Amino acid sequence: MRNLHGWAGLVIAVLAAAVVPGRSPVLAQPAPPPATQEWLKAARLGPYVEPRFDAAALYEQARREGAVTVYSYSSRIHAIGGTFEKQYPGIKVNAFDLDGAEIITKVLAEQRARNYQADLIFLPEVATVKHQLMPRWMVFNYVPPDLVTKIPRQYREPLLARHFSFRVVFYNNERYASPPVNNLWDLTRPEWKGRVMLPDPLKIPEYLSFLVTVVQRADEMAAAHQRKYGDLRLSPGIENAGYEWIRRLLANDLIIAPSTDEVTNAIGRPGQTAPPIGISAWSRMRDKVRRPTLRFEPVLAMEPVAAVSDLTILAIPAHAPHPAAAKLLIRWMMGDEKGGQGFEPFYIEGHLPTRTDVPPPPGMPMLYHLKVWDQDYDVIWKQSTKVREFWLRYLR
Amino acid sequence: MAVFSPALVVCLHRLRFGLARPHVIIGLALGVLLALLVVAPMLQLVVTTLTWSDEDLRAHPDAEPGAPTAFHWRRVFSSEISRNVLYVPLANSLVTALGASAVALAVGGLLAWLVVRTDVLGRTWLQTLGVVPYVLPSWTIALVWLILFRSPRAGAGVGLVESATGAPPPDWLAYGPLPIVVVLGLHYFPFAFLLLAAAMRSLDASLEESGEVLGARGGTILRRITVPLLLPALLSAFILTFSKALGTFGTPYLLGLPVRYFTLSTMIYAHIVSRAAAGGYILALVLIVISALTVHANQRAIGARRSFVTITGRGMRTRIRPLGPWRAPAAAFAWGVIAIAVVVPLGLLLWNSLMRYPDDYSLRNLTAHFWIGRSDPAIADGEAGILRNRPILGAAFNSLRLSVATAVLTGVAGLAVGLAVVRGRGTLLAKMVEQVSFLPYLVPSIAFGAVYLAVFLRSWGPLPALYGTFALLVLTCTVKNLPFASRSGIAALMQVSGELEEASAVLGAGLWLRVRRILVPLVASGLLSGVLLAFISTMRELSLIILLITPATRTLTTMTFRYTEQGLPQFANAIIVLLIALILVGELLARRLEARAATAPRERGDRL
Repeated sequence: MRNLHGWAGLVIAVLAAAVVPGRSPVLAQPAPPPATQEWLKAARLGPYVEPRFDAAALYEQARREGAVTVYSYSSRIHAIGGTFEKQYPGIKVNAFDLDGAEIITKVLAEQRARNYQADLIFLPEVATVKHQLMPRWMVFNYVPPDLVTKIPRQYREPLLARHFSFRVVFYNNERYASPPVNNLWDLTRPEWKGRVMLPDPLKIPEYLSFLVTVVQRADEMAAAHQRKYGDLRLSPGIENAGYEWIRRLLANDLIIAPSTDEVTNAIGRPGQTAPPIGISAWSRMRDKVRRPTLRFEPVLAMEPVAAVSDLTILAIPAHAPHPAAAKLLIRWMMGDEKGGQGFEPFYIEGHLPTRTDVPPPPGMPMLYHLKVWDQDYDVIWKQSTKVREFWLRYLR
Repeated sequence: MAVFSPALVVCLHRLRFGLARPHVIIGLALGVLLALLVVAPMLQLVVTTLTWSDEDLRAHPDAEPGAPTAFHWRRVFSSEISRNVLYVPLANSLVTALGASAVALAVGGLLAWLVVRTDVLGRTWLQTLGVVPYVLPSWTIALVWLILFRSPRAGAGVGLVESATGAPPPDWLAYGPLPIVVVLGLHYFPFAFLLLAAAMRSLDASLEESGEVLGARGGTILRRITVPLLLPALLSAFILTFSKALGTFGTPYLLGLPVRYFTLSTMIYAHIVSRAAAGGYILALVLIVISALTVHANQRAIGARRSFVTITGRGMRTRIRPLGPWRAPAAAFAWGVIAIAVVVPLGLLLWNSLMRYPDDYSLRNLTAHFWIGRSDPAIADGEAGILRNRPILGAAFNSLRLSVATAVLTGVAGLAVGLAVVRGRGTLLAKMVEQVSFLPYLVPSIAFGAVYLAVFLRSWGPLPALYGTFALLVLTCTVKNLPFASRSGIAALMQVSGELEEASAVLGAGLWLRVRRILVPLVASGLLSGVLLAFISTMRELSLIILLITPATRTLTTMTFRYTEQGLPQFANAIIVLLIALILVGELLARRLEARAATAPRERGDRL
């Protein structure tokens, strides 16, 4: 051991020459590479997509492919795979549930290594897919032709969005007969010190995006403060009302949770005298079916916004080995005008389909009844790092 | 006939004999492998931290991916976020690792003394059970802590203490540095226990008795005689505990996040999952430097003094001290530690795996669903019990084949390193192999995983990107476990005289035959401890592989982590119990193998 440093130095010197010039980033290109063009032609994707949707013909091709591999952000994909296999015998669904960031990492790795495994990705990381994967021709959009008229353009271009999810503020409706808060600034008040929960934004990207959207809507945040608490005075060095809100939230002994259901379970546990409030996914309402004792409800009369929406998209990675099966599974997951089996696990309170011909799930209001901020994925792409650094700076 | 010069003959003979000696070839091969698998990845990591990445384009549109930059280092070391990203977590890491080491040394040392030198109740049982906490995955005791002390702060239910007393425990007891120190200390005390027990056994009681005869008090004897003689063992135990506690991720994350108590290892994780890899790697390098400094300081401390020899040609004896009136309190302490670190964790885990709802400790809440239940949409998102759940059984199979493959490979590697180092003792090559094979020990698990992720995400010449393959997991675990295996390989081979091998070479035995018929049987039992350690640590590995795991290669530990995160603690608990059962069965099988290996060569020898 004593001579370790000398030896390590020698070896490092010898290896340095071999390793250092190793990196070659894949940059955006104006057109797909020829091999990808070939694949697009064969897979009938991109410019070569079929003009009309023919389920029978697609099934025929998909059955020849025999399988489809899908990376999903939700474990509910297993249920969808089950109904799909029943509807289309002969096509095996290999479903993997992963974090959104893991899906991105895997697709990037597979594409760079030219080791193509995934046929379909299903995830809420729209900004990353749009700005990092699409410009490099690593992922392609597919909109089943029969659905083009049923989905507004912004939800099928550049990527097909399947449904909305929402970040909302929850409260314990056993302890409180009506919502104890009605303004996002309430969460920064002393009476809620140490009693506000947020899923870890460093770990779960939806919550970093939530914070980015709050920063983007700084003017509305300032106006909301004005309405309830008078003029907002920014702390020294703080840029706008959005950052000010994040800073005050952290300073109010915010509890960071490792997952969304940690938040709703803590809020909803019965028999509490001083239950916490917190931000989580509206779709966690399904947990109340699993654990009927839980008592939590979203605060829908919230100022300046009731919910921040995000989209969950479906896309086909380049060189997917089973493109026809992937298209068929996309069509299945988009459901029918009553929701449909392929949509069913998401046809619950807390989600809304992007299809305009499908009524909202039971318990879910129409979108225009709600005060919602849609996420701007260009802003999220550009601003996430800045908000993350701000978060790290004021974390303690 | 031509006349050969005698010198030429000798030269030719040496060359032939040199190449016929396995250790030269093995040493060369190992040198190349270690350079590729240990040194090159470390270098790649350093290069990444000094380069703009694609991801950096988001905040720095003018950055040129691939171009050199000092930005990431400035960001970590001297920016507005340095305090929260580097300095505070660094201090927290040092505090928790030092605290955990202190707890581990105190508990392990006292337990070792009781078992070796006193007549404490149930010595043999204590001896066996004292090693079990190391077999438990490191966050098991963290989960137990949460089961006991969970307060509303961490959500998903309420702990036993609050159930029993009606009042939630204070935050400082439930989360943050204190629980992290206690939990890690209780997890890592077996290192100190094993090392100190061994050292005490070889400590001649007559040395202490001489002190007594000369009139020294008990305290003086302890301070001037016992502790100095045990110093090398104490320091080794400290190094092992300290480095392990520094690199561990699961416990500090589970117990630290709710009160925003971050350590370097949890900050590394946060950086890597939030796509700021370069920052994560820099923090990892900081951890590596600290570990290296500690090991270096240890060697200085031991190197300065040389009079630790306790095993001599002279006969020696150990003395069993009757505890007298202290027998009951001593037993209470020893068995209390075992209860807290072994019995209660296992019992509570089992109980919690049998609960219908996570926060209800009443008997009517018990269910076997999480073990053997069929899929029921009303329970746990429709997931079937673990013994019926194909993904979980698949993960169990993955865990087993990963651990067995790693154990076998590390055994082979340990033997190879031992051969190259012991037979080539004194040569440059031998020194290099010995030193580089110890490097992975200095790299904290999560950093090691990060390095391999960065390296094997891409293809290298003819070698495809190994990311996502099972082979990568085996490779990572093998290299990470190499230090232990090489140590046991070197130690085992030191005992085998080279003349046995040379004799067989003279008799015409080839390399393979010599390794198979002479070396392996002779060192098998010595190597086994390293192999077993590799098996155990791979079975319960989380930090090392969390970044490398993919659906197809998911192991039991990563499933546990996932279920804990998803708020289905019953599954997590059931899986841990299953994991521990598998480890204990594996250990038992290995011990039986060892018993057979120990008798077999002797029988053969008798027949000769």
